[in-house]
Amino acid sequence: MVHENYKEMLAPYALSTLDREETRTLEEHLATCHDCPRELDEWQGTTAALALLAALAEPSPRVRANILERIQAQREPVRTVLPFMQTKRLWNSTQKFGAIAAGLALVAMLISILVLWKQNRTAHDEIARLSAEKASAQQELDQQRKLVELLSARGASLAVLSGTAQAPSAHATLTYDQQTGRAVLLTEGLPPAPKGKAYQLWFIVGNVPMPGKVFTTDPTGKALSTDQIPSQALNAAVFAITLEPESGVKAPTGPIYLVSAS
Amino acid sequence: MLRIYSARLRASALQSNLVNLSDVELLHAIAVHDEAALACLYDRYRLILFGLLLRILNSREEAEDVLQEVFLQIWRRAGNFDEGRGQAFTWMVTLARSRAIDRLRVLAARQRLATSATHETAEVSDAVADAVGSEQREIVAGALAQIPDEQRRTLMLAYFEGLTQSEIATRLGAPLGTVKTRMRSGMIKLRELLADKVQSFYFH
Repeated sequence: MVHENYKEMLAPYALSTLDREETRTLEEHLATCHDCPRELDEWQGTTAALALLAALAEPSPRVRANILERIQAQREPVRTVLPFMQTKRLWNSTQKFGAIAAGLALVAMLISILVLWKQNRTAHDEIARLSAEKASAQQELDQQRKLVELLSARGASLAVLSGTAQAPSAHATLTYDQQTGRAVLLTEGLPPAPKGKAYQLWFIVGNVPMPGKVFTTDPTGKALSTDQIPSQALNAAVFAITLEPESGVKAPTGPIYLVSAS
Repeated sequence: MLRIYSARLRASALQSNLVNLSDVELLHAIAVHDEAALACLYDRYRLILFGLLLRILNSREEAEDVLQEVFLQIWRRAGNFDEGRGQAFTWMVTLARSRAIDRLRVLAARQRLATSATHETAEVSDAVADAVGSEQREIVAGALAQIPDEQRRTLMLAYFEGLTQSEIATRLGAPLGTVKTRMRSGMIKLRELLADKVQSFYFH
């Protein structure tokens, strides 16, 4: 179909008078066309004005009460209770896993110590090195387990954040579950936060930043943190990381270190 | 960039009186889950949106149900509103009308409407009607009065009864091509007549 034909469908589309097949055809075109969505906005402005021809009418006061009741009911579990429970659950299972692993590590270490102590005192250094390696491997395993869990979830998405002029070599990935909003953030190359400061993640929807969690990096500039993306930020959000007071803030105040492509 | 948003947010928060905020500012506040902002937007638009829904659905019960859905959707989607693409008024009216038409089609209530001669009446006092968008209503009514009868009738059937082009052709006993032409001419005329005015529609 030539472009002119699509353009002619825009006004009837704004009036919702196309049949189902025509609507589908035009919507496919709108998804790829640059000009048509803009022209459609204009037609929608015109059709919306027609709403004023309907006589004003007063709805029952219970509609207002119902709306406010529903949004409060939706808001509580999502914004306060759930993230807390989720974090707790995550830590509980991590602790359990960690305890078993630590138990095994301890047994291995004791055996190693006995054998090595008999062989050579200098082996103590080797043990220390091994155990440090084990701890760091364990930590890495935990991180990877969280990532795998998230990546294997249905609807997992990945956002890449690149460093701004504040930290050109920094980068980060935010992996999140489209269904539940559970997210894991991995950052690398961030400078250590000054005393009293920490990094904070933001979900920017439209023009509005919604606060995520505060985190700090290890000495090598790496960090892993879990978060909960608010439902309205799951689609079409830009993610950014700023430097803030370590207690976190409700609206960003500090410089941006990392930002995702919009 | 973020600094500007946060400054704007703080400015909004400092405004103790939400009534003074523009529609766009209210939508920004709603996007960060400000319940009072949603209540304020509801108070500002309930008469216009409920009037529209009642006219399309011709049932108080259905219209109230859809009005509730519309505001819950505004609550969830306020962050998607893009002020660069049009007015908040247009966004909300388009959303409300499209939900009403979906409901109409689901209910297949169209037949009931077609046979029903009575319309639910709107019950706001003249004083209220004068206070809410009376000037804008006159502009739109004035523009529509300049459009030829047949084109106007086609537009009204499309906008308020949710009929497709083919259904309008059947209803009017006119060829589909004629209906399409009338609708297109009517829309072009209306767009010309309202072009500069719609941008300044503003309801408080």
